[in-house]
Amino acid sequence: MKAMRNLFDALRPRFEEGGAYHRLYPFYESIETIFFGPIERSRGLPHVRDSLDVKRFMALVIVALIPHLCFGIFNAGYQSRLASGLSTGFLPVVWSGAWLVLPMVIVTYVVGFAWEILFAVVRKHEISEGLFVSCMLFPLTLPPGTPLWQVALGISFGIVIGKEVFGGTGRNFLNPALTGRAFLYFAYPVSLSGDQVWTVLSGARETVVDTFTAATPLSVSVSTPASQTVEETLTGVGYSGAKLIGGLYPGSVGGTSTLLCVAGALFLILLGIASYRIILGGVLGVLCTGYFLNLVAGPDSAPFLSLNPFYHLIMGGSAFGIVYMTTDPVSATHMKHVKWVYGFMCGMLTVLIRVFNPAFPEGVGLAILFMNLFNPLLDHIEMQWRMRRRISNV
Amino acid sequence: MISVRTAKGYDLPIQGAPLEVVDKPAPPPTVAVLPEHIPFIRPRLAVKEGDQVAVGDVLFTDKSNPRLQFLSPGGGQVARIQFGPRRVLQAVVIQRDAADEPVRSLAAPLEPEALDRLPRADLVDLLLRGGVWPFLRAFPYRAIADPDVEPPAIYVSLDAREPFQVPPARYLENQREVFTFGLRVLKRLCPVVHVHADADDQAFCEAYKDIITHKVQGRYPTDDSGVLLYRVRQSPDDNQAWFITGQDLLLVARMLQSGQYPTERLFAVAGSGVANPRYVASRMGAPIAHLAGEIQCKAPRFAVGGTLRGFSGDPEGHMGFYETALMVLPEPEAADFLTLFRPGFGKPSHSRTFLSALRRNPLPMTTNVNGGHRACIACGYCAEVCPVDIWPQMTYKSILAEEVEEYLAHGLLDCVECGLCTYVCPSKIELAATLRAAKHAYRKEQG
Ligand code: SF4
Ligand code: SF4
Repeated sequence: MKAMRNLFDALRPRFEEGGAYHRLYPFYESIETIFFGPIERSRGLPHVRDSLDVKRFMALVIVALIPHLCFGIFNAGYQSRLASGLSTGFLPVVWSGAWLVLPMVIVTYVVGFAWEILFAVVRKHEISEGLFVSCMLFPLTLPPGTPLWQVALGISFGIVIGKEVFGGTGRNFLNPALTGRAFLYFAYPVSLSGDQVWTVLSGARETVVDTFTAATPLSVSVSTPASQTVEETLTGVGYSGAKLIGGLYPGSVGGTSTLLCVAGALFLILLGIASYRIILGGVLGVLCTGYFLNLVAGPDSAPFLSLNPFYHLIMGGSAFGIVYMTTDPVSATHMKHVKWVYGFMCGMLTVLIRVFNPAFPEGVGLAILFMNLFNPLLDHIEMQWRMRRRISNV
Repeated sequence: MISVRTAKGYDLPIQGAPLEVVDKPAPPPTVAVLPEHIPFIRPRLAVKEGDQVAVGDVLFTDKSNPRLQFLSPGGGQVARIQFGPRRVLQAVVIQRDAADEPVRSLAAPLEPEALDRLPRADLVDLLLRGGVWPFLRAFPYRAIADPDVEPPAIYVSLDAREPFQVPPARYLENQREVFTFGLRVLKRLCPVVHVHADADDQAFCEAYKDIITHKVQGRYPTDDSGVLLYRVRQSPDDNQAWFITGQDLLLVARMLQSGQYPTERLFAVAGSGVANPRYVASRMGAPIAHLAGEIQCKAPRFAVGGTLRGFSGDPEGHMGFYETALMVLPEPEAADFLTLFRPGFGKPSHSRTFLSALRRNPLPMTTNVNGGHRACIACGYCAEVCPVDIWPQMTYKSILAEEVEEYLAHGLLDCVECGLCTYVCPSKIELAATLRAAKHAYRKEQG
């Protein structure tokens, strides 16, 4: 600790006013405060301040995401080796998975950080730790093995267009990670959609081993023949409810395991970091919409309409999106009651997009981005309502 | 007695509560008045350095309303008149003549029966001349009450929730008669007088149930009259109410009963920076060092008035006109190593992100801001604690954007300046100070 302190004390003057690297001060500050809590005397009103800072707030979100990353590494490796007909022992799986996933994470962080430092230096503000979270979320939403240049492009778009053009963290109303994800989706539809992208083949294989489809549960659901229910089809290709909850199936790196999402949600709600209003609203939105579709589904409508609503929660990225993407506090609604509305609408749109737009089976990302656009309006409505209830004091 | 509950607010789990002893040291050698910390006045000095003054002599008046007089809390010599930057009058210090302190008689003692016969205007005049009028303050700006108006109501706060204040049971000990007389005085000024106390202090509420009109249940700052006003007001006119604290009301009553300027004060001296946290019976405007006694931290911060709302006192300086609490806090010394990764049993927080949330026991605190300044992350904690349902982050943004109509409609003027929003903010944004500054600026604009 002493050596560490000395190192920072020696470096500090170079980054401070008048130092050679003064322009990079935000970067220095960001690193130093990882190791040493900052010291600054308060000016009063009040004289003491809460121990919580943004760094810890965001670090705890990362803590919640680490299990997803670990599981994602395992799952990516497992699916890849399974589809390629290789052995699925634990160590080889982790090894292949790490090679598929970690480069994406590293590229995201390096590129994301570079942009953030650039803007922090130009705009002369500190680096906001929200970046650490965005950079963790982004690769988790991608298929394993996404080309690294696409990863870099996606996170650049997410940070620059999703956040910085609006004035940086705190002013952005779009979720940066999702903005980047959506950009990739639309810019490179071939490489990022369809059935085959979710599993990376390794070895010399060009096609998956025969018995294995490597299709995601969502694409299976969409293509259910009219004679079957979706559940039957899913079970037929090996996607039982339990498997979907567990998450060991092809999909985005971090979003497949519903179980981990539930654990993460409990963790974040317990700590008071994620809004339970949004999460519960989202779950309700999915279930209610799914149930409503069950009601309207006639004998000739697509089998997807009659799907047990719970399947919408456990398939694909909806749980991940609801727990981690809707709750990004900056791009979510800020007022209390409209959080329910926002969450509910996200859930509802997710299901509607899935069911009615077969070309776009994963609706959660778009649903959230779409709702992000409406959040200022929702906030405005609640604020007006609150102001009207006050006895005026002017 | 009406019960009022407020759900918001927050009780700071801070160490250093005063022990239940009252220390009565010899009177201090100097006393002072600090015009700088009397809100909105523009002082015009009536004395100069070296002048002889008696207790109750006028030290300065207010340029905008010369009827507002500020009297000397000590008899002896004007030792020092201290100016700050831009010639702000900071302090008028009196070197007391300890052996034979001269005291000015300001009026004939007022008998309780005579009070009812005294016309209201004469009573106001008497309070102004007696130097105790400034203890009456008016919402929403917390400025000294205007002697020419009659308020819709007067709130008497028997406050004690900010760490750490003298609890009313302490300062009202053997003072019940005086206090009741004070309430009668207020009733002459305005027929509607609300006396509110903290419902958690059950023994006190029971003992004074004939006096208390509102029992307020909740966390800090429910003891603030502004919070009660926010809860009970019926119309916009109610916002012009006045308020006074219990200890100050005792001074008002004593002034009328004795005809002299009252100078006794009971102070709470607390915080982890003092060796002996305790109550101290001393003089108004007593020196900080005299009250603090032994200091047990290297770099002390003297929060005069309380942990949240107090101003930073000069170690060589004095207590202010209104302040009855002295909180001594250690300034931060060394940075914590790797706090980011610690569970934080010993880290006080309003949030649940440290394991201290499991126990909520009093913890040591320093004046460290505990984090870097960041843009608002919209966590919503500030709105969770605001006792008057302001959404501080929204109001803050509209203040920066100078949307006056907007932030007034948000309820800016209801802000009781409690400081909680700033306390909880993880982005370390100076919300409360910004809101207060906007309030003051708006008052100035109103003229
Ligand atoms: S806005 Fe005012 S009343 Fe509300 S928490 Fe902040 S300082 Fe207190
Ligand atoms: S507490 Fe601070 S960061 Fe959180 S919403 Fe309020 S102003 Fe924003």
